[in-house]
Amino acid sequence: MGEAISLSQKPSAPGAAGAAPLPKKSPEPTPAQLMAAWLSRNYLSILLWCASLGLLFAIWYFGTKYRFVFFIRFTNIPTPAEVFDKIFEVNKSGKYLLNIGISVRRILAGFGIAIMVAVPMGLLIGRYRAARDLLLPACEVLRPIPAIAWVPLSIMLWPSNEISIVFITFLGAFFPILLNTVHGVTAIDPVLLRAGRCLGAHEGRMFWHVILPGALPHIFTGFAVGMGVAWVSLIAAEMISGQFGVGYFTWEAYSLISYSEIALGMLTIGVLGLVCSGSIRFVGKLAMPWVSYSSGSNK
Amino acid sequence: MSSQPKGAIDIHNLRVVFGSKGSEVEAVSNVSVNVKPGEFVSLIGPSGCGKSTLLNIVAGFVNATSGTVEVDGVPVRGPSANRGVVFQQYSLFPWLSVRQNVEFGLRMQGMASGQRQTKARTLLGLAGLLAFENHFPDQLSGGMKQRVGIVRALATSPQVLLMDEPFGALDSQTRVVMQQILTNMWQQFRISVLFITHDIEESIFLSDRIFVMTARPGRIKAEIAVPLPRPRTPEMTASTEFISLVQRLKVLIREESLAAMGSELKDGGLTGFSMEVGPQGIGEML
Repeated sequence: MGEAISLSQKPSAPGAAGAAPLPKKSPEPTPAQLMAAWLSRNYLSILLWCASLGLLFAIWYFGTKYRFVFFIRFTNIPTPAEVFDKIFEVNKSGKYLLNIGISVRRILAGFGIAIMVAVPMGLLIGRYRAARDLLLPACEVLRPIPAIAWVPLSIMLWPSNEISIVFITFLGAFFPILLNTVHGVTAIDPVLLRAGRCLGAHEGRMFWHVILPGALPHIFTGFAVGMGVAWVSLIAAEMISGQFGVGYFTWEAYSLISYSEIALGMLTIGVLGLVCSGSIRFVGKLAMPWVSYSSGSNK
Repeated sequence: MSSQPKGAIDIHNLRVVFGSKGSEVEAVSNVSVNVKPGEFVSLIGPSGCGKSTLLNIVAGFVNATSGTVEVDGVPVRGPSANRGVVFQQYSLFPWLSVRQNVEFGLRMQGMASGQRQTKARTLLGLAGLLAFENHFPDQLSGGMKQRVGIVRALATSPQVLLMDEPFGALDSQTRVVMQQILTNMWQQFRISVLFITHDIEESIFLSDRIFVMTARPGRIKAEIAVPLPRPRTPEMTASTEFISLVQRLKVLIREESLAAMGSELKDGGLTGFSMEVGPQGIGEML
């Protein structure tokens, strides 16, 4: 390898091949510097985020303040202040937090099982025609059935109420994850599959080293969509058959005509959903560091 | 990276037919090509002449209808790390860093992490890419991606390197630099190369021998030895030998391009001009 150095030293080579702009590595910035840099890069986004949330809040605030009535009626809608006070009131007992905890537990269980079932199944369906022909028709028949329609059957099917709610949450997350995984596999550039094979990867290793990472961006899209549907399904199930959970809390408030608790329940669901989808995006960024470099992803 | 040249390719009486019964299309017809160990051989021909099909058969992606393909006496059955492939499209795994891409084949062979890292870094150093080892492919320019692609194909020390118009997507300046880099690497690795291109200058600059293919169905029309000495330098492209070879190949390929277009034009392409032309007719017209 001694004489081999000659070509590496050609100064023209990397430049002439058109070096792409490269991120400069500066010596370990402090967290404060990072924060400041992030703020200066994203100040417009932050401004727009605030405007977006502020607008929503303003409609609520002024609508309830002046008891706005024109086709839509703000007469019975609780004011922000009432809802804010309610947070402290419900937190006097641990019941509110318990409801949140139980809902989150159901989401984690249903969503987790959905990942474990839907991703491997989607990889198989995407890769093998036989698996597609065997599994996909059954899925396509069940898929259009909304989660609420599953509630009665689910209660009959499973030994406990808790399991049937988890099952409905699972169903909500399952189909988006499955379909996106299938799509992710079929969307892999065939040249990558060829490259994997001619570098000596056999079928089993292709799954782990080429097909799974190749489909991962779509799988995470499935997670994000699936998480949303899982919450919808969970809340519906809790409202109908639950004894605990945020959905039950909200429905119970409606039964008791406690307006501010209804709003609090809704806000709680919104925030929990936001936290969940935010976590998925965060995990997605950690799991797929290359995606931020793909063209068009940072527009 | 042994000093002994290796990798004889023997393609004998190869025939490829695509399509189902009734609508069969003969892509490659009775082709015999051989590459001696350590030789650089180009296949050149008009588009659609089946040259990529031929390479895909040697790579093991496509099965021949009849005929045999042997590499170092062993019949080709499916893809293998013994035959490195550099694709026309960028084919780096976007989720792996440059170094991990180069390590991929070694990893599939079960090489230990430290060992394969050392090997990958050595190879990347040879190609002048060590500074980019931790970059993702999407951070690289097209020329750099293809260099990584070549390095990745060489990492498993294959017997032959199969290249399917690897510089086709690059601009002409980058192309020239890449050709220089490729000849340098080829001389170091002493590996046989089967190179597909439609670029005449490229094929002459790189090759020991050039096979010219006919329009579909692809046959071998001519086999041309390139007498230019090694190592090749960019200045050689101005030599009379080089220029006369270019002329000779141009004539051969133009005949085939016209024949290829003629079969399309015959189907009404020129009727709008109220012309009655066959393949020979167009040749004379131009």
